Formats: sequence, structure tokens, C-alpha cells
Amino acid sequence: MPIPESLIWVAAVTTVIWLGLFVYCIALDRRVRRLEEDQ
Amino acid sequence: MRGSSLLSECVAVLGKEVTAELRSRVALNAIGLFALTTLVAVAYQIGPYRIAEADRPHLLAALLWIILFFAATSGLSRVFVKEEDSHTAKTLRLAARPSAVFIGKYLFNLVLLLALYAIIVPLYCALMAYSVEGVAGLVLVLLTGAVALSATSTIVAAIIARASGSATLFAILTMPLVLPLLVIVIQGTRAAAASAELAAVLPALRGIVSLAGVTLITSVYLFPVVWHD
Amino acid sequence: MTRNVLRVCFPWVLGVWMVAVILAAFFYAPTAQGFKGESSRIVFFHVPQAWVAVLAFCVNLVASIRYLRGRDPLDDARATAAARLGLVFSVLATVTGSLFARVMWGSFWNWDPREVSIAILLLVYAAYFALREMVADEERRGTLSAAYAVLAFVTMPFLIFVVPRIYWSLHPDTIISASGQLKFEMESRMRQVFVGSLAGFTGLFVWLYTVEVRLARVRISRARREEV
Repeated sequence: MPIPESLIWVAAVTTVIWLGLFVYCIALDRRVRRLEEDQ
Repeated sequence: MRGSSLLSECVAVLGKEVTAELRSRVALNAIGLFALTTLVAVAYQIGPYRIAEADRPHLLAALLWIILFFAATSGLSRVFVKEEDSHTAKTLRLAARPSAVFIGKYLFNLVLLLALYAIIVPLYCALMAYSVEGVAGLVLVLLTGAVALSATSTIVAAIIARASGSATLFAILTMPLVLPLLVIVIQGTRAAAASAELAAVLPALRGIVSLAGVTLITSVYLFPVVWHD
Repeated sequence: MTRNVLRVCFPWVLGVWMVAVILAAFFYAPTAQGFKGESSRIVFFHVPQAWVAVLAFCVNLVASIRYLRGRDPLDDARATAAARLGLVFSVLATVTGSLFARVMWGSFWNWDPREVSIAILLLVYAAYFALREMVADEERRGTLSAAYAVLAFVTMPFLIFVVPRIYWSLHPDTIISASGQLKFEMESRMRQVFVGSLAGFTGLFVWLYTVEVRLARVRISRARREEV
């Protein structure tokens, strides 16, 4: 299946955005877990 | 006080509202002036001749309801805020049961809206040369539309009175809830204007009546929670 | 013990899953017929986002009703968490829908009933938060916003189900797209990616929602302890 070059870029940008958000959310999760343990 | 029936309490609340309103005429002025000003602006700028024939059904129905809705927003929001402002809210809580307060104020808003429609709609039709084929259908759409609009406005007015009471908040909260009604009611008006048969407005009427019913029932259940807290 | 293991693993599994879904949406799934170019791929993201926005609405409703019954501050926190996520996802759904409309039909907005209903959902969430901003007292804030949420919920079906029916009975040909939901035949690959994306976005909602609720629970118990 021929993949247009533009698609590769869109997929790459989407993946990067997703990974960025994901790492941020993992950090949040860690912080909440630390708070819960302090209880 | 407790021996009175729900009906008599509703009527009492309604009577109080009407009397107070006739004395100060705040809401009447707000609604009436707003509606007349917008109507005049629209009629002057657009009038009967400046809309293309093909666009007339859509635009005339939509413009009418824009005028009616925004006039309603300007006047219906104060029905509970004025109690808080004049510190009569606590007395009202003691004097009547919550459902009576809600129904009484709802009926008041309904009367206000119907008075508005009775004056503005004929004026609009005259000034904009809006020829309506199905007058009976239009009247039904207006009646049921007022029932539904008043319901949503009254319960939201109760909510904002317990929040900040600002008219902006009233507009923000009412808008999403009232958009479906607006769409259906404009469709109904268009149908009534286009054909004299009642069957044409039936789909819209069904939508409006069920929306009104659902909103009223939900509001009667929600009101005590909002009122007493 | 297993609960904690699950809690730690779930986000990572979700992360890998979503990357796979994104790549699959672009490279594995074919494009649908009747769509312009590659634009059908957006459906893998747009529909799950709309679905999550509605799911969040339902979660908010349940939490709101529970709050009205029991006045438990945790229920209010649940309702707020759901609403916040609902707002985010309805913004995403509206934006992706609008982009799709631009590619397919040339304009960003078409007043199609489906488009309008997701935008109205957005307005409901925004109004919900506007209301919350204006009330200082915690219990009153919870009560009023819960009441508004219930009211909004009973009104929504009319826009989604009743209005399109009225449109059709009067003007069946005015609207360009058949309720914005072009009935495309999803062949197996597309269906796989679509279901995968749906699962992924739902998982994302569940994860973010539970994190927010856990945080609220910690805050509430801390506040309670300070009271004593």
C-alpha cells in the first residue's frame, strides 16, 4: 500500500504528542501514589 | 398554612407574582422594551422587501424566534433573584411548599411569555410581511414553545439565584439547554407558515411537548434541592 | 497486592496500546471508499473521542445523582473529574469533526445535527464549570452543579434523537451529509483498528478519571484530618 509522505509526518507528530501527554500523565500518577502512601 | 392544598398555594404564589409585577413592572419593561427594540431594528433594516424570496421561510422563522428568545432571557431570569435581593426568600420558604413556589413562579413566567408572544408575533408578521398559512399551527407552536421555554428558564433562574444571580450566568446556563428547543420551534414555525394543515406541525409539536414534559418533571424534582440549602 | 500491580501496569499497557493504534490507523488500516483521500482515518480518533465525551457525561450524571442523595464530597469530586475529562474530549471531538468536515465538504461547520450536538455537549460542560466558578460554598456548589447536570442530561436526547427526525420530515435534502455519519462499510482491518481505538480511548478516560478521583480522595481525607 503506497503511503504518502504527508501521512508519515502526521503519524509521527501524533505519536510524539501522545507520548508527551502520556509521560506527563505517568508523572501525575506517580505523584498521586506518593501522596496516597504518605497518608 | 399547612392545611392549604398544593393548588391553592400555587395560585397564591402566582397571584403574588402578578401583583408584585404589576406594581413594579420590571420584567414587563425589560421584556417588552427589548422585544420592541429588536423588532424595530430588524423591521427597519430588513423589512418585507430585502430578503430574497427563496430565503424568506428560513430567515423569517429564525428571526422571529431570535427576538422572542432573547427578550425572554432578559426578563425571565429575575424571578428568583428578586426574592434574594429583597430578602423575602426566607419568608417564601416558610410560607409555601417548594413545588408550589416552583409551579407558581413557572406559571408567572409562562404568562409573561404568552403576553410577549401575543404582542410581538402579530407585529412581526405585519412589519415583515410574514404570511402564515397555518395560523392554528403557529398558535400551537407558540403555546407549547412558551410552556417549554418557561420551564427551562424557571429552573435555571432558581439555580442562578442561589449562585451569583447574574444575568450572564443565566444566559450561559440556559443556552445549551434551550438550543434543541429553539431548533424544533423554528422548524415548527416554518411548517406552520408553509401549510395550513395541522399535520405539518405535528412532528415539531411532539418534540416540543415531550421536551416540555421532561423538563417540567425533572425541574419539579430538582427544585426542592436547589431551593432548600 | 494484585490491585497495585494492576494499577502500575495498566497505564504502560495503555501507552503501548495507543501507540500501536495510532500507527495502525495510519499504516495498517486502508482508507474507506467515498471519503476524500486519507480523511477517513480521522474517524479512528474522532468517534472514540465523541464516545468518551458522552461516557463522561453519563459518569457525571451518576455521580451527580449520588451527590444529591448523599452529599458525599467524593461524589462531587467524581462528577467534576468526569466533567473535566468530558470537556476535554468534547473539544477534541468537535475539532476533529470540524477538520473532517473541512476536508470532506469544504467548510469547517455545516450545522449538521450530529456536529451541533457534540458542540452543545461542549457548551454544557463549559456552563457546568462557569456555574461552579460562581459559587463559593462547597456544598451549595456541588448541589447546584449536580442539579444542572441532571437537567442537561434529560435535555440531551432531544437534540440527538428528536431533532434529526424533525429535520428529515421537513427537509430531507437540505443537509449535505446523512447525519454526519457516512455509512461506510468497515472492512475487517478498519473495524479492528476502530475497536482498538475505542478501547484505547475508553481506557484513557478510565485511567485519568481514577487518577483524579484518587487525588480528590487524598485531599478530602487530609482536609478531614485537619478538621479534627
